[in-house]
Amino acid sequence: MPLEIKTLKGRPVVSGRRRGSALVSMKPISFLGGVDPNSGVIIERDHDLKGKNVKETILCFPCGHGSTVGSYVLYSLAKKGLGPKAIINQKADPVVVVGAIIAEIPMIDQVDIQQIMTGDEVEVDCDKGLVKIVREEKTKPCI
Amino acid sequence: MYLNSEEEKMYDGEYGGAHQVSMKILVRLGDLFGATRLVPIKSVHISGVSYKTVGDASIDFFNALASEGGKAQVLSTLNPAGFDPEYLVKRFPQEYREKQLRIVDLYRTMGIQPTFTCTPYYIRKPRPGWHLAWAESSAVVYANSILGAWTNREGSPSSLAAALVGKAPNYGMHQAENRQPNLLIKVKSSLANETEFGALGIYAGKLLRDRVPLFEGLSNYVNDDLKQLGAGLASSGMTSIFYYSMPCEKREFETVSVETKDIRNTVESLSTASEVPDLIFIGCPHCSLSEIQSIAQAVEGRKVRRGIELWVCTSRHLKQKAVNHVNIIEKAGGHVLCDTCAIVTWIKNLGVNTMMTNSAKAAYYAPTLNEVSVTLEPLSKCIDVACA
Repeated sequence: MPLEIKTLKGRPVVSGRRRGSALVSMKPISFLGGVDPNSGVIIERDHDLKGKNVKETILCFPCGHGSTVGSYVLYSLAKKGLGPKAIINQKADPVVVVGAIIAEIPMIDQVDIQQIMTGDEVEVDCDKGLVKIVREEKTKPCI
Repeated sequence: MYLNSEEEKMYDGEYGGAHQVSMKILVRLGDLFGATRLVPIKSVHISGVSYKTVGDASIDFFNALASEGGKAQVLSTLNPAGFDPEYLVKRFPQEYREKQLRIVDLYRTMGIQPTFTCTPYYIRKPRPGWHLAWAESSAVVYANSILGAWTNREGSPSSLAAALVGKAPNYGMHQAENRQPNLLIKVKSSLANETEFGALGIYAGKLLRDRVPLFEGLSNYVNDDLKQLGAGLASSGMTSIFYYSMPCEKREFETVSVETKDIRNTVESLSTASEVPDLIFIGCPHCSLSEIQSIAQAVEGRKVRRGIELWVCTSRHLKQKAVNHVNIIEKAGGHVLCDTCAIVTWIKNLGVNTMMTNSAKAAYYAPTLNEVSVTLEPLSKCIDVACA
């Protein structure tokens, strides 16, 4: 199967390089009250990722919102091995950033996350500010 | 961002590990969000106190900072904890009590005041123009919007870092140009009570992202209504400031309208229960003196019915000040609880399955944080149900 490779640019927030499967949302996430700290499952009401687990994903969402305690929830998830491998935001907010700093979760923002689809294999270089998406090319329909 | 020589020494670890970790956090945030320097702050308010919300991992983080000699450099206050010292403390397992007391102990070691309230502005009101570093999203919005102080919406760890350094990076709300409104919200609904103000906040918070709203069309409100509006905005959104009167000469803004049906739909969508509640909770954010007074007037001479608990949550500071009203509420069978609230304690463990509240913020969080279903009604209705 031919592979399609796309590279997106962003701004380094917390350093590190990770590769993994993307979990993409177009809705902001509140880690407090929005993610179950004991499982990593998203429980936020009306959320497009409700029921999905953030564990070991490359978690892509526009920004954080809600409670300022979200930083510690992210930190707790990471310490329990339930955190995302990396975080990609459109526009980072301080609550998620400081959570990622103390949890040492690589993070990048100012990325056009609409270009990424859930399930894409993604390589994030949070030092250089690069996101590489590796996707199986869609076969053209037969005429 | 620029650091003076003392700040550079802190950054390099010459003042010990706690200062170094704190400086790394503050400088990273400052560099990312466009700070030019650190600005001295008048006070810090720290969220992340209840063991229910922060969990075990955070205790290690607090312990590391405390054992590395971290000490608050400015007045620093704490958000509510997992229980009050009189009523709820006896109702939870020893493990919860010990972990909570350990967290409080570590904060105390770092010189942070055990105020245990999300409304620190009732204890010491910041003056307009004061720079602060506050976490607790509802208090941030209140400080910026109603009191005119200048604070970012700090994440819990960065508020602690700011306390230990006594300064905060001057990005965001610390710069005048970022505080200007850029979205006009025309409220075409006459809001009848504090619950509808909160619902407006939840509705608008989802639309805003990082824009600064100016609400037009609000009338007959008191600061307690604006407190509910701000708490709602900060729950469903990431807003740090809103306006309710024009701060400058009229300019052209992008405009959105909010209709009566939007408010009604928001209240309905936040109400997930229809059965009689086990718990009626007033005090999210913590009650003001005038709210305690209103509750006392509403329950005077009545009795809270069997099978329902009525909780009125406030700070220890105001509970002592309002002792006469507190006596009236307790005589009627209500509980005036300080240091905690229904959201940051383990109400599920107390057998609560259905909660009624007048707070849109509490209704927003309770179904996921507390696993209870919720009825959202104004104070007058809550008291009528409690004393039916």
